Amino acid sequence: MSRLEAKKPSICRSDPLTGERARASLAALKGLVTSCYGPAGRLKQLHNGRGGSVVTTSQSAALLAGLPVSHPVLKVLTAAVRNHVACFSDGGLFTAILCCNLVENVQRLGLAPTTVIKLNKHLLSLCTSYLKSEGCACRIPVDFSSTQILLSLVRSILTSKPACMLIAKEVDHISTLILRAFLLTIPENAQEHIILGKSIIVPLKGQRVIDSAVLPGILIEVSGVQLMKILPIKKSDSFKVALFCVSLSGDLSDTGEGTLLVSYGVSLENAALDQLFNLGKQLVSDHVDLVLCQKVIHPSLKQFLRTHHVIAVDRIGVSLMEPLSKVTGTWPIGSLGSISPSSYGSVKDLCIAKFGCKHFFHLIPNKTTICSLLLCNRNDTAWDELKLTCQTALHALQLTIKDPYVLLGGGCTETHLVAYIRHKTRNEPESVLRDERCSQTELQLITEAFCSALESLAGSLEHDGGEILTDSKYGHFWSVQANLPSAVNWPDLPSRCGCGLYSSQEELSWSFLRSARHPFPPQTCLSREATGSADTLTLDCFTAKLSGLQVAVETASLILDLSCVIEDTN
Amino acid sequence: MAAAGSVTVALHVAEVLETIVSGCLGPEGRQVLCTKPTGEVLLSRDGGCLLKALHLEHPIARVMVACVSSHLRKTGDGAKTFIVFLCHLLRGLREITDKEKDSFLFENIQTCGRHWKNCCRWKFISQAFLTFQTQILDYVMDHYLSRHFLSIFSSCTKERTLCRSSLEMLLGAYFCGRVGRNNHNLISQLMCDYVFKCTACESRFEEVLEIVDDCFVELKVGVTGLPVSDSRIIAGLVLQRDFSVYCPADGDIRIVIVTETIQPLFSIPGSEFTLNSEAQFQTSQFWITERTKAIVKHLQNQNVKLLLSTVKQPDLVIYCAGLNGISVVECLSSEELSLIQRVIGLAPFVLPEASSQYELSHTALAKFCKPLILRSKRFVHLGLMSTCSFAPHCIALCGPVQGLVEQHENALHGAFKMLRQAFKDLDLNCVTQTSDQSCTSGPCIYKNSRESNELPKIVNSSIQRSYQDTVVKNKGELAKTQTNLKVCSNLIVPSVKLEQNVLCSTPKVAVTDSYQTDETLRCSSPNKGRIMDDHEPFIESNSANSKPENTRRGISYENLQVTKLARKDSILPLRYKSLETCTSQSYYSSSIPAGCVLPVGGNFEILLHYYLLNYAKKCQQSEQTMVSRIIANAILGVPKILYKSKKGNYSFPQVYVRALQALQTNQPMISNQTGLESVASKYQLLTSVLQCLTNILTVDLVINIKRQPQEVYDQDSEEEL
Repeated sequence: MSRLEAKKPSICRSDPLTGERARASLAALKGLVTSCYGPAGRLKQLHNGRGGSVVTTSQSAALLAGLPVSHPVLKVLTAAVRNHVACFSDGGLFTAILCCNLVENVQRLGLAPTTVIKLNKHLLSLCTSYLKSEGCACRIPVDFSSTQILLSLVRSILTSKPACMLIAKEVDHISTLILRAFLLTIPENAQEHIILGKSIIVPLKGQRVIDSAVLPGILIEVSGVQLMKILPIKKSDSFKVALFCVSLSGDLSDTGEGTLLVSYGVSLENAALDQLFNLGKQLVSDHVDLVLCQKVIHPSLKQFLRTHHVIAVDRIGVSLMEPLSKVTGTWPIGSLGSISPSSYGSVKDLCIAKFGCKHFFHLIPNKTTICSLLLCNRNDTAWDELKLTCQTALHALQLTIKDPYVLLGGGCTETHLVAYIRHKTRNEPESVLRDERCSQTELQLITEAFCSALESLAGSLEHDGGEILTDSKYGHFWSVQANLPSAVNWPDLPSRCGCGLYSSQEELSWSFLRSARHPFPPQTCLSREATGSADTLTLDCFTAKLSGLQVAVETASLILDLSCVIEDTN
Repeated sequence: MAAAGSVTVALHVAEVLETIVSGCLGPEGRQVLCTKPTGEVLLSRDGGCLLKALHLEHPIARVMVACVSSHLRKTGDGAKTFIVFLCHLLRGLREITDKEKDSFLFENIQTCGRHWKNCCRWKFISQAFLTFQTQILDYVMDHYLSRHFLSIFSSCTKERTLCRSSLEMLLGAYFCGRVGRNNHNLISQLMCDYVFKCTACESRFEEVLEIVDDCFVELKVGVTGLPVSDSRIIAGLVLQRDFSVYCPADGDIRIVIVTETIQPLFSIPGSEFTLNSEAQFQTSQFWITERTKAIVKHLQNQNVKLLLSTVKQPDLVIYCAGLNGISVVECLSSEELSLIQRVIGLAPFVLPEASSQYELSHTALAKFCKPLILRSKRFVHLGLMSTCSFAPHCIALCGPVQGLVEQHENALHGAFKMLRQAFKDLDLNCVTQTSDQSCTSGPCIYKNSRESNELPKIVNSSIQRSYQDTVVKNKGELAKTQTNLKVCSNLIVPSVKLEQNVLCSTPKVAVTDSYQTDETLRCSSPNKGRIMDDHEPFIESNSANSKPENTRRGISYENLQVTKLARKDSILPLRYKSLETCTSQSYYSSSIPAGCVLPVGGNFEILLHYYLLNYAKKCQQSEQTMVSRIIANAILGVPKILYKSKKGNYSFPQVYVRALQALQTNQPMISNQTGLESVASKYQLLTSVLQCLTNILTVDLVINIKRQPQEVYDQDSEEEL
């Protein structure tokens, strides 16, 4: 009642995009994301003067999570990008840049939002149907019989995050590890419904990147003190495991809402402890070798188990419970009373391993899809970045399994799409004009805005002042160094296109990106030999990029459709 | 605040609101972004939502917002039109006052006197509006507009079946005004599919709409981060939580619902448990464990595969259930529980007192029960076997941002409300002068109408009474708003009572009547004595009129004519009333039947405009002419905004002229829009706006209170204190 306060009236602003403030903040955000994009992207340091760690990153997930955004329109944009990243892990910067470009380009035209939104939607459907079609020349079907494409995909993701601070050798090592970790999560006898396992990333900071490793099974970190108490492990073929999800600390469980009267001299602690000992006896008589507990085990029970040569590890935490129950095949025990024998599980081997300065308890399973990725990097920020990158790569691999295609990276997909759209709208505009009821000029203007948004997206891969060219056969992306001596015949210089699919040996004619050109039909239907010949391609995750494209256009339409903003100032 | 200023002030306020909402009105409307103090952003085109987000301070604005929200609660649609229409009405009123001002100034020199004069005048005008709303509007609707109404039902028979194409048009038009323009087709298609998928039995779709409207929050799943086009319908029910234990099971799955923990506790609230020894503690714990196991075992023996619990179950229960192959879902909300209970008609399982092995009576079956992964979040997916007409389906709504998903959710929910309203009969208060001139005082016919879902149940307790006293007549007019039973109780009660006496011979009617009597008697006792005098004439008239009225209703439903709607190829049955049969009687009882629609694009407005002007020409009383004219002109404001961006042949003047020509030559109006809107909701909107206007006009002074608003206690709690 005392806190009852009248609400302040809200502030209502019409046309939120036309103002100087909106334009400035949109340009600022665009500059920020554009400069981070690609392998040559610049790093950003997020620093909070009040404390917390300093984050050095070029990834949208970390960047936008820490970035305070005040303008409501930008809030929509960043929220859309963050939601996309939460779904697909990859393609956040792509989405953000494309969305900014689209809003900016269309804003400049000053056409009625209705037409813009309709036509943008049409162009988007043109793109998506082309990318999904069989004749699409920027999409490669994944050949699962060799690791080449998958490895290229992982490597592309790793190289596009410069804040991981990896050298070429380390990139090779980590990408192999990621692929191996991923392959370990695929069940061996795959039926039509595959349930993928899980790769658990275990942190090991301050070590060399080369020391990173993939191990099957689960690593449980144990402190040195705990380690001393663990007995030497006897050799055996298999170990019987009991996994508890209730606390074994002897505390009294929920006694209900009523009152509990305890007579003088009655010690409930002793009673509870007696119960624990009974449990211990049962475990011993059932020949359990390893007791794992999510919560705390009472020291007396631990001692009791140790004297009976049973290894006890407690405080495992809830996040490891599901993988543990999968690895060992146990059913998490929720009872202190009698335990059903069916809830015990087993592991093939147990060992204590030391990596760096940390000790781990390693459970080696018989046959499961859980593995541990021991990830090392020099410092905390670089490790955080690397971990995020690994998760992105693993997620991209999972998405690729679901939809077995990859897209050409390095800007080639974008330039190719631009060539396709330009050609399509120039040569077959009738269907659009009839369906959407707009004029030829409007269509041309919007198409140009859409295409230049995609082109400048591809162009933002270049950060060192180089020139970007595109060829008129495939519509791919070629970049040349800046400040070349004018005497050199520059079209001869680029050796490979952005994705690495084509080399300049072929007879190609180049033109500058973003220069006026005659629309040409890009060559469709990717030849098999072409994909086979190149060893290292730059590739992008198909699902993530397609969805990113859709989300970017949808969000841009949403922003352009705003007629006013009501800001609640309470 | 002076009353004279109140129209001007109200107009200013309404104009400000109009500029905000008119940007979002109609298919060309744009989005509004609302930021919350928590940092969230919400996209909206919903007028009610915008008005709420503004947090208005101005007293008149607050009255308007309150009126809009009460209207929205009833119908779920029309907030923006409300404001636009209100604004135009106020504009019309001010023009008239401006004209009169000169003469007015000369008459009153003293300001104080002028103030009171003004108040009286505004009161007068507002009464005229009220008279219009309660009498003329219904008369015009019934006499003239009703012949243009189309029906959404596909067949002409009394059996109501939904026609897919007309439902699509109705929903399409609704979503045009509510969601972003690149999504409305998708959303309306989704909703249309949803309605048909959920309707197990064609003729009972009203029940389905009711369930969906009530439980919509539980029937949708919002997914952010995916493009809107990924939205889809999921067969079965999706609970927004994960399994506590999941045991895969094939075939039909037996379900049990529990509302308490299965594991017995040491003590229940209000009791005391005394522990005397450690052994006792251990035995009781042992007993608890054994008993829990026994109950779970018992469930397993009864072949139960899924346990739905409204509370969190202890670890022991989860463990036992897992061992016995029973999946467990915990912490169901009471709304989810009530939805499940409505769908499968299952009562919660009561824990047996002793460890008896009696048969489980409260179980239901599900076709499947599995985890569903949406955007790497796990949900429980149940394929319940429905025991009612609602076949459970869920809508997964995707969108790049939460604000957009919420907008679509709200729009869908509103659409269900709108549909529910559209499929209800709406009775009109039709009050006319009788043709019988023998009554010198001009008796009025009052009709007590109640909204009712099903036709046969409608009991028209018509009252005909003649009042000699004009004061009483005025009172009756004021109080006679159609749903407000309490206000007009002094008129209705005796009539209902007496009607019961008269109509007792027909058993069908008697049942409903007695119910009405019960309800109305409660609030009527003080007025009884006075009204007793009027019994005699009433009985006569009522018994005479009850019969023809029934036949008239029959006729209006039988006379259906199928006409082809221009431009679209769909065939809609046209409602058509034979006026000949009506004129022979002294009064009409009428209603807007369920599912009446008109094409969108200002059709309703132009029709009403035309007929109101016609009426105004015929009308003798000057104030009624004025009010009719004001309303007729104001109502055109809505189509004017709708056609604002159209050019050439589709511009508003062109459309208007064409429509008027068609009306004058009695040709069908040709609409170039595909889409339908419910007549009932338009009508309700009109009455709500007029009520709001009278509300604003009758206030003569706004008292500003600086104190903290005091909490309003319930009467019960005060008694307790």
